[in-house]
Amino acid sequence: MVEFALPKNSKVGKGRIFKAPAGSKKTKEFKVYRWSPDDGNNPVIDTYELDLTRVGPMVLDALIYIKNEVDQTLTFRRSCREGICGSCAMNIDGVNTLACLKPIEEVKKAVAIYPLPHMPVVKDLIPDLTAAYAQLRSIEPWLKSDTNPPPDAERRQSMEERSKLDGMWECILCFCCTTSCPSYWWNGDKYLGPATLLAAYRWIADSRDEYTGERLDALEDPLKLYACRTIMNCTQSCPKGLNPAEAIGKIKQLQLERKG
Amino acid sequence: MAGNDNLQIQVMRSQLGRVRGLGAAKSGVEHWWVERVTSIALLPLTIWFVVAVLMHLGAPQAVVAHWAGRTVNTVLLLALVMLTFYHMQLGLQVVIDDYVNDAKSHLATSLANKGAALILALFAIVAILRMAFKAPAA
Ligand code: SF4
Ligand code: SF4
Ligand code: FES
Repeated sequence: MVEFALPKNSKVGKGRIFKAPAGSKKTKEFKVYRWSPDDGNNPVIDTYELDLTRVGPMVLDALIYIKNEVDQTLTFRRSCREGICGSCAMNIDGVNTLACLKPIEEVKKAVAIYPLPHMPVVKDLIPDLTAAYAQLRSIEPWLKSDTNPPPDAERRQSMEERSKLDGMWECILCFCCTTSCPSYWWNGDKYLGPATLLAAYRWIADSRDEYTGERLDALEDPLKLYACRTIMNCTQSCPKGLNPAEAIGKIKQLQLERKG
Repeated sequence: MAGNDNLQIQVMRSQLGRVRGLGAAKSGVEHWWVERVTSIALLPLTIWFVVAVLMHLGAPQAVVAHWAGRTVNTVLLLALVMLTFYHMQLGLQVVIDDYVNDAKSHLATSLANKGAALILALFAIVAILRMAFKAPAA
């Protein structure tokens, strides 16, 4: 059954408070989820008061500032700090997004920062995404074709054919969408989730791919695909402005179309 | 150390193996499609029914039964209850799929859902037919 309350060992407690240094001009509170697998304790929320005049504009800048200047034990992922790698996906102010693209200014009160929802936590703000990556792997996100490519050139595609991939190739696989989806929370072991289904449609829509039918076969399942209830959280949360719900709708249309 | 409890591993099957599982069921299209078709068909039927009921507010039972006994009305009423209960069953099944994960309780609730929809629909159908065959044909 669905769990309506957190399990005992996930109940979040009060954490430590790190005051801003004396003489700070513009302070702001950051309330950050902390949990470590090493001590057997429940998670807590630590509060960091930062002087914004010393911190860059984005939430990721604040996290980096905390790690460098206040508390080295804070653990999070980041790499590109410009919305391309997808590493810094987390839940900020109640919404899944990329910390490097989220301006601190946009959050009116204290900035609440949690790991992506409903995933196992590795430590602090790092979710365990191995199951989600395996789901992505399961839809075989690569070109499958029995026709050999021209010996001296790449496979060709018309402008129209190429334009069908717009709105999908931009996905950076941050899984903000998947972890915002209630269907994925309830049935994430079976439902593939919006990020993986968007990737699946990216290959279904690719004119160079010759395995469209097999791809549709592999998705034709009450839960793998049809557990999507068109709640649209995915599209709302995507920090790249993509529309996974629409891609899922198109897969459902094709499933119907081939039934004749 | 208490923390080590977290490290106990019960399932060593690879993540990909778990995700692939038993493979796709090769169904779901029909359920999805019929749920939508029935909901669209129910729109005009429900409006028709509500208007008809409003027009018969306060009418004696015999008048209502006579109205239900007209062939057009009997057919539309039967269509209404059959589609309604079929649609209801499909919709509830989705809720069950979402919220009942344990295989045994899933089977039990699914069967109860379908059984209840069938029995309720039969009750409604019999009631309509009784009105239809009591009233003089028109
Ligand atoms: S539209 Fe589908 S995938 Fe997106 S949040 Fe809703 S149920 Fe999840
Ligand atoms: S669709 Fe958007 S939110 Fe989902 S994984 Fe891709 S970039 Fe991230
Ligand atoms: S650090 Fe790469 S997306 Fe934020």
